[in-house]
Order: sequence, then structure tokens, then C-alpha cells
Amino acid sequence: MEPDRRREASRQVHLILSAKSSGRPGMTSRLAGLPPEEIRQKLTAVIESAAREIFEVMVGTPLGPAEEATLPRVADYTSMIGLAGDLCGVMSFRCSSNTASQIAALMLSSEDRVPEDCIRDALGEICNMIAGSFKAQVMGLADQCMLSVPMVVSGKDYQLYPLADGVRIQISPSFEGALVWITLDLHS
Amino acid sequence: MSGLRVLIVDDSSVMRKIVDRSLRQAGLELTEVLEASNGVEALARMRESRVDLILSDINMPSMDGLELVRQLQAIDNAKGVPIVMITTEAGESHVVQALSSGARGYIRKPFSPDQIKERIIPLLGGSNGA
Repeated sequence: MEPDRRREASRQVHLILSAKSSGRPGMTSRLAGLPPEEIRQKLTAVIESAAREIFEVMVGTPLGPAEEATLPRVADYTSMIGLAGDLCGVMSFRCSSNTASQIAALMLSSEDRVPEDCIRDALGEICNMIAGSFKAQVMGLADQCMLSVPMVVSGKDYQLYPLADGVRIQISPSFEGALVWITLDLHS
Repeated sequence: MSGLRVLIVDDSSVMRKIVDRSLRQAGLELTEVLEASNGVEALARMRESRVDLILSDINMPSMDGLELVRQLQAIDNAKGVPIVMITTEAGESHVVQALSSGARGYIRKPFSPDQIKERIIPLLGGSNGA
């Protein structure tokens, strides 16, 4: 490896995310018998509904229409929360630095610049509430799926490797003209 | 409803501020707001202070909200104080556990000031105007 590439690689942070549980086999309550594409469609609709609810009620600004968009290589902020039990995986929320600041300021009703620790805190809560609302909306999941404490990563140079080996469900709605990415990586 | 002292327990400082603001928007006049980021801190606060209302998250590090509710029963300052859980956990088992542990109310995040008003004011002996 060339010296510059080696230096660059040594500065990168690699996070490997996994959420496994000893939950009952047979997974997912009411979803288990459905074809994979139907599960994907249902869960996509529920994630979108959950995200819209959270932004309308807690941020006070509705999300724009969801678009087909690929994940950015690195988002300035990524908040994540693990799900374990009947549904097992990681839900994440990604956005730019500017969007993160806007979300935190709106949640706090602040016109001043929001401190970095409050921005991280706000994004962790957003992900936590989307995951909570998501599992409340999937029949049979509210009591059969546990949420972890949220984690937030920020920076310009990191890689996320979800070890979930099942489906990835992703929506990319807009917030004040910029895309945000909400992803659910499921274990099979 | 005026002159209230409240303890807000949540590991998110942003959420503590949102709960504080929502209580005020619901028409409660707060004279003192104590904060704690987990159950252990909340117990310490309650050993030193008296409040009129406790609002607590469930999922928190160190000591969760359900254990907090159980341990509050042994603290004199907490006797008779209504405890309301504010949480993302919406499962029936969580609600049953919280209420059987001693909580008097349960509010799911996300919540609006109207929901706060509807659930909390009756616990403080007032009418929510509904």
C-alpha cells in the first residue's frame, strides 16, 4: 500500500454493527409467513409512517416526499439503534451536518447555534423514537422486540459495516430541501 | 395550575428540555424543574428534595425507569407523588409493568402538549378542560 493510502486508511474509523439476540426462533410475529417482497413493502411503509410522525410531532417540520436515493459513502452524522427479539437488526438515521444542526435547533426551539453534544443527543433521540414508533406500528412487535440505547457517530471519514445478513430497507425523504436516510438492516 | 416542582428523568438532555417545554405549553406553571439522567441520579434527587410530579423515561443506563419506580416506593419524599412514564416503549407489557410498579400514567413518545395536558393535569387534581 502506498504511504499516503496507508496513512489515510489508518485514520479511518471502521464500525461493525451487529444486533443479535436469543429471541425465539421463527422471527417476526405476524410477518413470518409473508413473501419477502411483501415484508419489504410493509416495513418500508411503516418506517416512512414512523419517521413522518416523529418529524411532525417532535421536530415540528414535516418530511418531504421519499426519493429513490443511494446512501452517501459517509454522512456527517449517523445515529443507530439495535433491535433484538422477534425482529433483529439495526435501524439508522443519516444526515448532513447542516441538517443535523437544523433538526436539533428545531427540537430545542433554539435560534442560537446548538452545541455539538446536543446535536448528537437530538439525533440519537430521533432514531430512538423512529424505531419505537416503527415497532409500535408492526402488529405483535411492540412487546416482542427490544431497543438498545442509541449510538451516534459523527465525522467525515468512517465506514459502517452492518453485519445484518437479511434485507436492507431504506427510505430517503427530504428535510428542508436536503435528503436524510433512514435504513433498517435486518438479520435473516 | 401553578407553583409546581417537577423531576424529569431521561438520559437525553434534549428530551428533558422538550418535556419541560411541553409541560409549560400544557399550561403548567413550574417553579422548579429538577433533572436526572438515569434512575440512580433520580433517587439521589428524591432523597434530598420534594416534588409534585415525576416524569421518567424507561430505557436508561445505570437504572431504568421501571426499577426507579419500584425503588421510589421506599423514599419518603416520593410517597404520594404521581409518576408518569414517557417512553418510546409502547408494548402492553411495558404499560402493565409500569403501572403495576407504581406509575400513575404512561405517555408514548412522540407526544404533544395536548397529550401531556390530558394525561397529567388530572393526576395533579385539576381538570384538563376536556
